[in-house]
Amino acid sequence: MPNLAIKNLLHDRLRSAMTVAGVAFAVTLVFIQTGLFLGLLDNASVTIDHLQADLWVTSRNTPNVDFAHGFPETHVQRVRSIHGVARADNLLIQFLNLSLPSGAEEGMLVYALEDFRRWGVPWRVVEGNLDDLRRGDYMMLDDSAERRHGPFAVGDYREVVGYRVKIIGRTREALSFTTTPIGFLDYDLAQRLANRMAGKTTYIVVRLEPGADAAAVKSEIARRLPYNDVYTRQEWARRSRSYWVASTGLGLNMYLTVFLGCLVGVVVVAQTLYTSTMEHLKEFGTVKAIGGSNADIYRILGLQAAISAVIGFALGGGAALALGPAMAGIGLKLIVPGTLAASVFVGTLTLCLASAFVSFRKVAGIDPALVFRA
Amino acid sequence: MPTAAARLLALPDAPPPPVLAARAVRKSFREGHVEIEVLRGVDLALARGEIVALEGPSGSGKTTLLSILGGILTPTSGSVAVDGEKIDATRPELLPEIRKRSFGFVFQQYNLFPALTALENVAYAAKIKGLARRRAREEAERLLVGVGLAGLLDRLPSDLSGGQKQRVAIARALAGDPPILLADEPTANLDTAAGRQVLQLFHALARRERRALLIVTHDPQVRPFVDRVARIRDGRLVDDLPEASS
Repeated sequence: MPNLAIKNLLHDRLRSAMTVAGVAFAVTLVFIQTGLFLGLLDNASVTIDHLQADLWVTSRNTPNVDFAHGFPETHVQRVRSIHGVARADNLLIQFLNLSLPSGAEEGMLVYALEDFRRWGVPWRVVEGNLDDLRRGDYMMLDDSAERRHGPFAVGDYREVVGYRVKIIGRTREALSFTTTPIGFLDYDLAQRLANRMAGKTTYIVVRLEPGADAAAVKSEIARRLPYNDVYTRQEWARRSRSYWVASTGLGLNMYLTVFLGCLVGVVVVAQTLYTSTMEHLKEFGTVKAIGGSNADIYRILGLQAAISAVIGFALGGGAALALGPAMAGIGLKLIVPGTLAASVFVGTLTLCLASAFVSFRKVAGIDPALVFRA
Repeated sequence: MPTAAARLLALPDAPPPPVLAARAVRKSFREGHVEIEVLRGVDLALARGEIVALEGPSGSGKTTLLSILGGILTPTSGSVAVDGEKIDATRPELLPEIRKRSFGFVFQQYNLFPALTALENVAYAAKIKGLARRRAREEAERLLVGVGLAGLLDRLPSDLSGGQKQRVAIARALAGDPPILLADEPTANLDTAAGRQVLQLFHALARRERRALLIVTHDPQVRPFVDRVARIRDGRLVDDLPEASS
């Protein structure tokens, strides 16, 4: 049987192209906005995700990984003595000012550990040797710092809170939500540079022994350090991300744009399908006159909406993916996980079919007697 | 029980049973607060193989009567029976099935699907009428060849002449082998020669295949091809006479 839905789509090429373009635009908008949002959120927890710690001990009510405040570094001893803990170290994360060659001052987010290699951070070292950090007043700076700090090279010096520190390496992908560049320093050096942090740390990172009961260790740490909080890695990453979603209105912004994207898609599809239905009213009347039911016509409209959804999704998704590298070039991270792609596909299909309902209602009311009108 | 001899004797006088019968059909439409009565008690019957022309001035109720006879509209009162089955106003959901089974429509404007070829137009109707895909295609091909369009199966309606389009429409009306054909001004958009060819085709189909055919028309060249002419005026049938006496 000839497929009237497909034939009509091919027959009305311009209108079909407009419908597909509308869907593709909406899909691209949703992918870009959600992908950028996920990229930003990923920055909010990227160091937590890569640091090979099972548990994080923070000071009480620390809202996210960047906004840390200090507590006595000797607390780490209480953690190390707990059964099931394989390793526990202090981690100092602090905002420090850095003087640029231009004379300007910029912020830097310092990550300081005694032994970086043991904890798996930084995870992409593109120049320099991590072990050298312990051998002097050195730091490794992430490539992303060039955006705010200007060009730099291994061997350059920078003044960190007025103190000369040599850049001995470059890293990649170590990003913060606030876009403050991340630098890696030895723990002792960072403690010296950070004001009022002598004898203090901001986190204790904990690795469990294989087979250890994480919940039991976590509750024992909480018992021994009643003025601190303890999180699993997932909990801490989620808390850090949630802070930015809730406090910046970013989540609302994202939902609003996604909503607008969906609205654009629905309006375009509904409008073009409806116009198409109005133009084919006599044909649908003919289908009814020769014995077709409303369901036969719903199938035609539904299939047209579904085809528009599938092609629009493919084009919109392709456009979003193609824009990914361009966005990376300007320092924006676009993350499109499979679950997002699947959700957007289901959403696109659902919304396109929902758009067809406007036409369904029109079709249901078609008087087949209109076929006799000239 | 009548004897076999009596039945044989009775046959020549027994009128053929109507395949389509309208009894005291009335139809009113409401426009605002005003009720307009379009049909005011129409009786009309068609037997298999019979060709009837329905004539009348514009606004006389021809198209409304055609719609009611074809199961597109239901009468306000009165009844329509198709092959003895009553078209019931209280069960409009049955109308599509009755249309599918019993009627083939031919329209003044052809009403072909512009995106489908001649073959696909007919096959689509055949599929709607319940034929499987391959069977619908074979049936469509057979019908189009039957109406003289063997070489034009893959043409779009836009590539066909008016007469050819109307032949496609007739082939489409024949899909599913309905016993009744209803044609609304089938020659109105055709030149005299093409109109005549279409009427010859209709006549042959009705006679050869024993289909009842009702033609709503203003066209005087229809008359030689019909058995009866029914005239409608102001919603009433004023004449229903054999063609020779009309």
